[in-house]
Amino acid sequence: MYGKSPAGLTSAVKTAAVWTAAVGAGLVAMALLAAFAPVAVLGAASGPAAAVATPHTISVSIWQAALIGLGYYLANSPWLFGLAFFTLYRPLVAGFFVGLILGDPAQGTLIGAAINIPYLGFISAGGNLPADASLAGWVGTTVALASGLDPTKAIPIAFGLGMLGTIIFYGRMAVDSVFAHWADARAEKADIGGVAFMNVVPGQLLLFVASFVPVFLLALNGPSAVQDVLNRLPLWAVNGLVIAGGILPAIGIALNMRFIFRGAAIPYFFIGFILMTATHQSMSLVVIAALGLALAYLHLNFVRPTAAAAETAAAATETATATAAAAEPAATAPEPAPEPAIRLTRGDLIRSWALWTFFAHANYNYERLQGTGFAHAMTPIIKRLYTTPDEIRAALKRHLVFFNTEPNFGNVVHGTVIAMEEQRANGAPIDDDAINSVKSGLMGPMAGIGDTLSQSTITPILLALGIGIAGGTASGSVVPTLTSATGNPLGAIIYIVLVSVVIVAVGYTAWMQGYARGKSFVTDILRSGAIDRVLVGAGVLGNMVLGALAAKFVVVNLAPTVTIAGAQLNLQAAIIDPLFPGALALGLVVVTWWLLRRINPLALLTIYLVFAMLAAYPFFGPGQKDSSDYSYGACTSSLLHQYSPCGPPPAPTAAPSPAPSAQP
Amino acid sequence: MSLRLVRIDDRLIHGQVVAGWLRALGAKRIVIVDDATARDEFMREVLTLAAPQGVPVEVCDVAGGAARLTQLAATTEPVIVLARSPRTVLALRQEGVPIGVVDLGGMGFGPGRKRLHRTISVSPDELRELRELEQLGTRVEIQIVADDRPIPFGSLDSGR
Repeated sequence: MYGKSPAGLTSAVKTAAVWTAAVGAGLVAMALLAAFAPVAVLGAASGPAAAVATPHTISVSIWQAALIGLGYYLANSPWLFGLAFFTLYRPLVAGFFVGLILGDPAQGTLIGAAINIPYLGFISAGGNLPADASLAGWVGTTVALASGLDPTKAIPIAFGLGMLGTIIFYGRMAVDSVFAHWADARAEKADIGGVAFMNVVPGQLLLFVASFVPVFLLALNGPSAVQDVLNRLPLWAVNGLVIAGGILPAIGIALNMRFIFRGAAIPYFFIGFILMTATHQSMSLVVIAALGLALAYLHLNFVRPTAAAAETAAAATETATATAAAAEPAATAPEPAPEPAIRLTRGDLIRSWALWTFFAHANYNYERLQGTGFAHAMTPIIKRLYTTPDEIRAALKRHLVFFNTEPNFGNVVHGTVIAMEEQRANGAPIDDDAINSVKSGLMGPMAGIGDTLSQSTITPILLALGIGIAGGTASGSVVPTLTSATGNPLGAIIYIVLVSVVIVAVGYTAWMQGYARGKSFVTDILRSGAIDRVLVGAGVLGNMVLGALAAKFVVVNLAPTVTIAGAQLNLQAAIIDPLFPGALALGLVVVTWWLLRRINPLALLTIYLVFAMLAAYPFFGPGQKDSSDYSYGACTSSLLHQYSPCGPPPAPTAAPSPAPSAQP
Repeated sequence: MSLRLVRIDDRLIHGQVVAGWLRALGAKRIVIVDDATARDEFMREVLTLAAPQGVPVEVCDVAGGAARLTQLAATTEPVIVLARSPRTVLALRQEGVPIGVVDLGGMGFGPGRKRLHRTISVSPDELRELRELEQLGTRVEIQIVADDRPIPFGSLDSGR
């Protein structure tokens, strides 16, 4: 296809194709290397034979550190069909790949899943980034895996890294504005290839240096540095990290609940939670999701059509038909009746879509956000439609302005604009203002819908599913799942496949339909209520999965005992959990959700970290003598305990432990 | 005061507003004040349908908006007000709408505009209008998303 129209192929597309091939080959090589290297590189370090009490450590070689640095760069780069933000960027996926590189994909995936939980409600909109989840994932997993850390402890450590990573993002957003001006200069010369080049090459060179180097160094030196710090910490503080790892997931889950824990969908959260605790955390997330889908179907068809909903639906159709009648003449007006002289080919459209999908965020910057990416995506269209330097210059400059939308669902804007450009090239009276007003008018609303669909509904639900699968099956209900489970790499793989299929399908459909039907596609899809049905159905499924995830990963173990009729009873093990298993964890999640409406997430996170440390401090007794001391006095000396009401950490692959051993 | 957020944002309704502010403030209604948008049948419908189910969107011109907002400000219903430019907010303020704080949430870069902070750029005219708003006692702040700390406009406006 490309061979037939060499004119439509910019040098940057060629560069992109070569780079992508190289990167793809690199990823395959990386996977192969990792699959065959463990025995040679790591010797007996990994595998079930490793003793429980002495966590196995892995020394990170220069090559492994380089691969991890490359992985972090790729996670923030446009090369993987623009899907990196939905895949490699997420700690679950990063954990899987770091696991592959270091020779233990199962444990890597488990650690990545743990690190990912606080970022479940993660949203990046309009150049705003709350934390760099990818740095937390890539470096956090490396550190935890290499130093044999309990995944629970990795959660707070990785979160600190995530805060650090925003420096790279914001630095890049500022500097990339300069490259937008370089693109302006190329546009002035009517240099189509030059605009494409400026959107990709300078920004990516900068990003490569700014991301590869620090992560390479962190991967190489981080594990021993963290191990050093942990060795210096008093015992109670290390326990505090485990306790923090049990309560921080509540923040990630609650952040996500802000979007879907509403109205009639609320009970499904509790159903998911109870199903999970009732089966002692052993129910497969796939089963929960299947059940959630069935319930979503029932909910959409039998629960929701209540009087209130029917009323709003009727009102919506009423306004829709009213405006449709009013808008009728306007909608048909721009259709030119005669056969257009210059036509875009399907290849032009696909090439344009592919350029956008790859490079929308290649030069993301404060000044124009996706502006240079939009112009880059228009290059095949401009090449086909315009011939004189004046026309080309004007078209490039027209599309180099500020632009930002959700890059998948928002593609209806691009499709619509391409159709307008085609009509304009064929003599229709469409001026710059008409094109600009469609872009600037639609980019916001489409981003609103797109972000709601992709970032706050589809991605977190699929991630929650992947994390749940990755978390494997715990060995018992009273210990943190993450400490006792064996990770399952399938969680990462299933997530990658599902999210990629959904994102690409939505992006392609929106692009092509936007071109074919323009504004009427926008109003049709909004009026149809299809988006609302997807959101409501996803809300049911999402609440089930989130509830299950809360039961699996949020851990609160009260340490104090009460004396009743002469018997020392642990408040939680003897009284609360028999009545409602996991009631404290559930309560913590709901309270967190409530608090998040009043307190900024980062502030709440700090509060929870401090609380975890205080709750681990032995205020009420002597505390532990050493890390194997699970005597009665040690167990009851703090507010919260890191493991079951009181007991030693379980073996990673042990059979279900019948009862907590040290309970007096 | 029910006008929980009066925001200048050239993209009006988008991800930061729908997924961020709306939830954070528990707002139940969005009022968009913009003369050009109010005249555009298509954009009016798109904006109305782009907000989440159960959040009504009203699109008004400046004159209609001033009356409607004065009326809403007296109720307890939490409302988000969106405008494209400082000129609109200044006009509302001069019409007597009680606006205590105006939030600069998104003002894209373009020829002749100066970048104040991240995604906030202003033209010389807009700069003057924002200063005028401050003189009228309306605080001007930059707060792109609800979880950000607000930055006072005065600390970035070096030229006055």
